Amino acid sequence: MPRVFITGIGFITSIGNDAATVAASLREMRHGMELYPPFQKPEVPVKVAAPVKGFQMDSNDPEDWSFPARYTIKREILRGMAPHGVYAWCAMQQAIEDAKLTEADWSNPQTGLYAASGGSPQLMGYMLNRMHTQGVMRCSPLGIVASISGTVNFNLVAHFRIRGSSCGFSSACASSSHALGYAFDDLVLGRQQRMFVVGAEDGNVDSILPFAGMRALSLQKDPALASRPFDAARDGFVGTGGGVVLVLETEDEVARRGVKPYCEVAGWGQASDGHNVAISHPEGLGLQAAIELALRSSRLAPEEVDYVNAHATSTPIGDVSELRAMKKIFRTPAARPAISSTKALTGHGLSLAGAMESAFCALAIREGFMPGSAHITRPDPECEGLNIIRSTLPAQPHVVLNNSSGFGGANVSLVFRRAG
Amino acid sequence: MPDSVQPSQGSSKPFPFITKPVAPEDEAALRESLKRCSPSTFEAAIQFRKTGNPEHLPAVVIGVIERFVEPDLRTKLKDADDDLRLIEDLGIDSLTMMEIVILVEDVLQMSINNDELRNLRTVGDVKTFIDCKVRGLPLPKPTKFLPIEHIAATMPIQPPFLFLNEASVSSNGANAKYKISGQEFFLQGHFKDNPVMPASIMLEALGQLAVLFLLEGLTPEPGKAVNPQMIFFTGCEGVRAHRVCRPGDILTLSIKPKRMKMPLATFEGAIRVGQEKAVIAEEITLTFGFMEVPAQPVTENGTAQAGAPSNGEPGAAPLRVAASA
Repeated sequence: MPRVFITGIGFITSIGNDAATVAASLREMRHGMELYPPFQKPEVPVKVAAPVKGFQMDSNDPEDWSFPARYTIKREILRGMAPHGVYAWCAMQQAIEDAKLTEADWSNPQTGLYAASGGSPQLMGYMLNRMHTQGVMRCSPLGIVASISGTVNFNLVAHFRIRGSSCGFSSACASSSHALGYAFDDLVLGRQQRMFVVGAEDGNVDSILPFAGMRALSLQKDPALASRPFDAARDGFVGTGGGVVLVLETEDEVARRGVKPYCEVAGWGQASDGHNVAISHPEGLGLQAAIELALRSSRLAPEEVDYVNAHATSTPIGDVSELRAMKKIFRTPAARPAISSTKALTGHGLSLAGAMESAFCALAIREGFMPGSAHITRPDPECEGLNIIRSTLPAQPHVVLNNSSGFGGANVSLVFRRAG
Repeated sequence: MPDSVQPSQGSSKPFPFITKPVAPEDEAALRESLKRCSPSTFEAAIQFRKTGNPEHLPAVVIGVIERFVEPDLRTKLKDADDDLRLIEDLGIDSLTMMEIVILVEDVLQMSINNDELRNLRTVGDVKTFIDCKVRGLPLPKPTKFLPIEHIAATMPIQPPFLFLNEASVSSNGANAKYKISGQEFFLQGHFKDNPVMPASIMLEALGQLAVLFLLEGLTPEPGKAVNPQMIFFTGCEGVRAHRVCRPGDILTLSIKPKRMKMPLATFEGAIRVGQEKAVIAEEITLTFGFMEVPAQPVTENGTAQAGAPSNGEPGAAPLRVAASA
């Protein structure tokens, strides 16, 4: 069974638009929250979001958008993209450079791309409104391609001339972890030699605020307190957007190209709660099963795990569910991994989260640190017995677990291991 | 034809000016729609809205196309050669074409069917198409693009005396290119150690393009075709040479029919090199005659009538338009 490695990463996130900035933000626990201007209205009770910086993507017209000068995207490409398509496109550029890939390396039948995003509610809304007010034939010809779920894979696969496997994953907040898991499978099964894994979200008014209706968003007015997973006073998540791309390659490709990987993808597991469409199982049943399967597929014991990047989004119910799942896995005194939720810094990226946090794990392994769980002043009593780290540990984790849970009770756990 | 739309009587007769006011909110919406187009596009569009005068259409159409063309290709449009091809020269794909259509529909308040778009290959096709739509005229036949093989097979004139490398023929004129290779036999003596394309040969080239138009651009009545052996030069007027043309120059030739009355066909013609005027001929007149063509073969299912024209009445209409121009 071929081994699989992460050889390149690209980031457009609320805490940095390149790997060095993101690593520094994680290490120093600098968050990306702000009083998001579009929320500062009396009728909007949610005040804080964690937007991407350096991009101006508010308009419905892609030709109004602006982004950092190092990226140039032609109008004919832009017109079929959502804001998060641009984030993913920029992250893709970084990942390709980071992995030192040439077009011949990535545009061939052995290289595929799996992606996840929730689509673009903003552009979908704009297009439908235009259709209802101006007529069916006045919809933008690429309105659908730009807005439906799948827009990221459509765009990146076409514009980067990807010729291997490609599809999109739709399991809400577990989506891009599923994408990474199945990319791993394709490599292990010998179907592909290299896979791009992409997670992205708009992270704007229309993608974040609908969560207010289910009371999932924090109503905190202080950006430094709004996202505080595992804190007893947490009151919901903070929305974010961005794009993250990882390059996964088989060991043969790593050897052939002579590149130094970030880490190995050791295995993964998934399981479902079978419980509720939107609420996690109170005992974390599905997540527990996913972690067990992930460790088994990686041939690792709970005692070998050094760090867990938790899914914990800062919602009252979800965090407890995950804490209970982890308490059932890490039962012995020898099994005391450091645990943190980097969503305290980034906010919750929905379909972006799994890929983004997997890339954080890869950075942590390569650069030798474990990011602290920020903004905890009074830990939830349910944390008792687990090692929630409240500051960054300057030590290299050898084995890292990344959890994700999505709507419908979908749970994914990914395992990363130091390369070599 | 809608009663309210007057058929064109050509540019010599003024369009009936009826100015109607444009509501401020409509003007604002128009300005918003055209915000990425040049200011002159908006000016032309608002004038068209107010007067309905189709003379403003070319500026609107060019302005809309320009807005969708990559900036580095826009200079090509500045010099508005009607022969400029949308796909090959301007990089416009079918989706961009849809964007252009949607904006044109929006600005000119018309609707365009998908199958009407299929034949639009050049900037000139688009201008003519929109013009016909607005005036309520039948749509012209699509422009034909003829490579040298087709030209040589059609023409009574043959190398080394054929001065057309490639040509396009539509119902309202023809365009062609000819590159002066330097190998033309007459350049050895015209002039001594100083090869210059003779103006008489350039006039000949325009005449050849007019011949090609008669053979490829006309739709005569059923059972008849222009006889290639009966086309001859009769006269020309208002000929001026503006520029010395030498080997390496690419001549861009264009002719437009001015009058068609059996057996005479009169054209205006021009040759440019890049954007520079080279030769102008106010009138070139040819004689021509028809020949009988064999009846159309009956199709297998036997439904087609013998002798029926292959493209029927609608196809014949542009000739009448051209003839009345």
